[in-house]
Amino acid sequence: MEKIVELKNVSKVYKIGENEFKALDNIDLELNKGEMIVVLGPSGAGKSTLLNLIGGMDSPSSGEVIIDGENISSYNENKLSSYRAENVGFIFQFYNILPSLTVKENVDIVKDIVKNPIPTEEALKSVGLEEHKNKFPNQLSGGEQQRVSIARAVAKNPKLLLCDEPTGALDSHTGVDVLKLLRKQCDANHGANTVIIVTHNSLIADIADTVIHVKNGKIESVVKNPNPKKIDEVKW
Amino acid sequence: MLFKKMLRDLKHNKSQFITIFLMVFLAVFAFSGIHAYMDGMKFGSEEYYKKQNLQDLWVTKENFSKEDLEKVKELDNVNNAERLLRIKANVVNPEDYTNKTTGKELKEFVIECNFIESNDINQLYVQKGEKFDVNKSGLWFDEYLAENLGIKIGDEIELSYEGLTLKEKVVAIVEAPDHVYFMKDETAIFPTHTDYGFAYLSINELPEMFHVFPYMIVDVDDLSQLKEVKASIKENIDNVITVTDREDDISYSGFLREAEEGESYSGIFSGLFVFIAILSVVTTMNRFVKRERTQIGTLKALGIKKRKITWMYVNYGFFISVVAGVLGLFIGRYTLGSFFLNMELVYYEIPYLHTYLIPLVYEVAIGIVIVITLVTYLSCRKILKEKAAEAIRVEIPKVKISKFDITTKGIFKRASLSTKWNLRDVLRNRARTFMALVGIMGCTMLVVVALGMFDSLNEYMRWEFEVINHFDYRLNLSENYTDSQYEAIIEKYGEKTSQSVGVEFKNDDEIELNALTINDAKGLLQTTDHNKKPFEMKNDGIYITEKMSKLKNLKVGDTVEWRIVATDKWYKSKIAGLAKDPQNQQFYCTKDYFETLEETTYRPDSIYTNKDLSKIKEINGVNTIQSIGNIRSEMDNMLQMMFMVIYLLIGISIALGFVIIYNLGILSFTEKEYQFATLKVLGYKNKQIKKIFIKQNIWITIVAILLSFPVAFWVTDYIFANAIGDIYDFNAYIRPITYAISGLGSFIVSYLINKFLARKINKIDMVSSLKGNE
Repeated sequence: MEKIVELKNVSKVYKIGENEFKALDNIDLELNKGEMIVVLGPSGAGKSTLLNLIGGMDSPSSGEVIIDGENISSYNENKLSSYRAENVGFIFQFYNILPSLTVKENVDIVKDIVKNPIPTEEALKSVGLEEHKNKFPNQLSGGEQQRVSIARAVAKNPKLLLCDEPTGALDSHTGVDVLKLLRKQCDANHGANTVIIVTHNSLIADIADTVIHVKNGKIESVVKNPNPKKIDEVKW
Repeated sequence: MLFKKMLRDLKHNKSQFITIFLMVFLAVFAFSGIHAYMDGMKFGSEEYYKKQNLQDLWVTKENFSKEDLEKVKELDNVNNAERLLRIKANVVNPEDYTNKTTGKELKEFVIECNFIESNDINQLYVQKGEKFDVNKSGLWFDEYLAENLGIKIGDEIELSYEGLTLKEKVVAIVEAPDHVYFMKDETAIFPTHTDYGFAYLSINELPEMFHVFPYMIVDVDDLSQLKEVKASIKENIDNVITVTDREDDISYSGFLREAEEGESYSGIFSGLFVFIAILSVVTTMNRFVKRERTQIGTLKALGIKKRKITWMYVNYGFFISVVAGVLGLFIGRYTLGSFFLNMELVYYEIPYLHTYLIPLVYEVAIGIVIVITLVTYLSCRKILKEKAAEAIRVEIPKVKISKFDITTKGIFKRASLSTKWNLRDVLRNRARTFMALVGIMGCTMLVVVALGMFDSLNEYMRWEFEVINHFDYRLNLSENYTDSQYEAIIEKYGEKTSQSVGVEFKNDDEIELNALTINDAKGLLQTTDHNKKPFEMKNDGIYITEKMSKLKNLKVGDTVEWRIVATDKWYKSKIAGLAKDPQNQQFYCTKDYFETLEETTYRPDSIYTNKDLSKIKEINGVNTIQSIGNIRSEMDNMLQMMFMVIYLLIGISIALGFVIIYNLGILSFTEKEYQFATLKVLGYKNKQIKKIFIKQNIWITIVAILLSFPVAFWVTDYIFANAIGDIYDFNAYIRPITYAISGLGSFIVSYLINKFLARKINKIDMVSSLKGNE
């Protein structure tokens, strides 16, 4: 299968005062295109750091981060912005949508930075929010806000959809809906989209194509799941 | 522990707290400095007048006898009275004296000699030398003049007056309470202390035949009885010419007017500084505490007492404002206040004048601390009232859709997302927007007002010296000029003349003192109308100035009863029209009208000409030759003091504006940081985000600038129309270029500061910002 993410000898060290904290310790990782990948691990294991490096939100202290054949670890700030705009969709635990913009406008915002975005109406329809397009975020429930965030990410038509605890702030029923949307996004586009989900919730691992366990800044295991369960089959 | 947290918060938010400190400091600094100077002038002079026992009444007559003096002393409510002879004596060999400042020898040197019998009223303030003693010879000499000419105790000065020569040694260097604001003559515009001064001598220095006392000074023990004392002097002493009080004394009123004029405009400025600064600081503290919401909630959840948490947050505002306030109070007083006071002291002769802080200044400083502390306390208490479980969560903005209606309709529908986003951010954060608007508006307005004062004063100069005084030279005729001298002068320089007389007029039950100018100098000495355009007076009555008409409630068509001072004949004249004059509020009439009145003779005291008299030093029958150019430059010199204050006010306005815009920028940036981080994560480039950030602040700046213009005009007009002395009458005049410069200046400052702050966007750490918001 075609590789989308390659990490070679990647380390990330944070300096806190005079102390150093190694969030990622010399890791190597390869991820395939079109898969749904779940990254599991306890707090402080380095999951989010891994996601941030893949997403171009942060740069490694050493090593190479290669996305779709391009080494982004050597990119400057400007190039990283372009990389994020064209290739990556982010979904956060607390949605991070702009409170002063309507649902539609929150999705429209990507039009200023992406060359070929998916039409806003289509993106909203895919997450079932077309009827709420003129509402402001504070008029929506948590699940609906997360769907706005997914629509915004999807509208960019990204190669990578990076989700940091996307269901963390939602009830189980809403969480299932969100995961279904993520699966749908992964299966769309003839398998060209890759979804990486960072989570504490080990139950989510059952629906993934690949499950990565991270501990103390190291990759503990990479497990392939040839028969991922359907989301409705998982007992939450 | 909480103290440590406070110190760390202060360090973490140092830009914000430094700007808070600077805003409070600048406001109190300006308020204290300006008041210390103005109140120093006012209270210092009051203290001086009280200690030296300045006269309460000034009485004139041809010659006061000893009996007159005793009679006055016997009157009710009269404490004391003294007789005085005042003459202007020429110093023999003026070329022996050199002006220390210019290094030039004097061409003329005149000393106003005050011969007295005792010195219990208007007591001399002896800087060096002996106390006044009527039995001693010598000169108690003007300190400022002595300083300028290098005259010392022991120096001998030869004086000549109408054939009499006196050789006197300087026995003391003094200042006198009746010579605080002291000028050469009525043609001088401000005190120079170069070739003219005063001296006090014992009356015994003059031969008996010169013992004539045309003046009497009176000390009244109960000032509420001043009117009664005046009346009883007139009643009991024969042939009294005038009885005037301190308000009619040139020295007293001139100094007071200067103090009050400055007080009005700088009071407005310093008050606005305080208002703008308080508004900005209060809003900033309120937003700061709101930002600390989750931490306050956490501390509460941990079980720390509300009182302790409140105390910690209150201390942020309290300590900063106390330190800034105290420093502002004292640095303002001892730098700004002293600087201006010392500048004034160049003109006004007054000893031990020092800066003075009235209780109001302390009250304002304390008030600022209280307001800031109270707002911080209330903001903190509001959060603490919530349950800990609620307070530890980020507050979800309560936004009503109706607030944003405007942005979802009409032209706004088509606006770019960044425009919509900014517009909604403005509507959502109305308090911050309002504070930004008022802050920028206030500072721009202050600059426009200050520059507008320049414009208005320049316009006043143009009106006075190019329209009203439309001549090159004025010849002030000697009192005793002869007909042949007059004929010779008008033959050579033309017959454009005027005469000014002191008049008393009845207004209700009062008899008031004023002046009447009989104008026969058509085209050269012009009377102007409401629009500052010259007009020709008719011969059907007297004219009064607009301001006097308002102040005295006299209208066109009314009849005024008046007489020339020291005469008995009362006239009834119709007010034929109104004139407008920037600096003299008085009566005018034509020569023809004046001559229709019984028992009047027109005897000009001034001749106006446009001939070149620059090389002519002396004309027979002429006392002084005044060049309009010189008067104008003297006036310019006098305005320099005011201009210095205005420069400083502009400086403080700019500094305050700078700090406010910077503070707003930080506030606005901090509150939007996580949204910018989101945009950054989405792939927005720093340049695009900077544009969004700057856009909103530029909008606010433009709106604030536009709003500031009409308010600035109104404030300037208020200063000139109402706040300055009654003798002035001119309105605000602000040139379009002034608005343009001020507006552009504010815009550039705001743009550059925002550009500078926008650099922070480069440093946004997406991960931390987004986590922080969680």
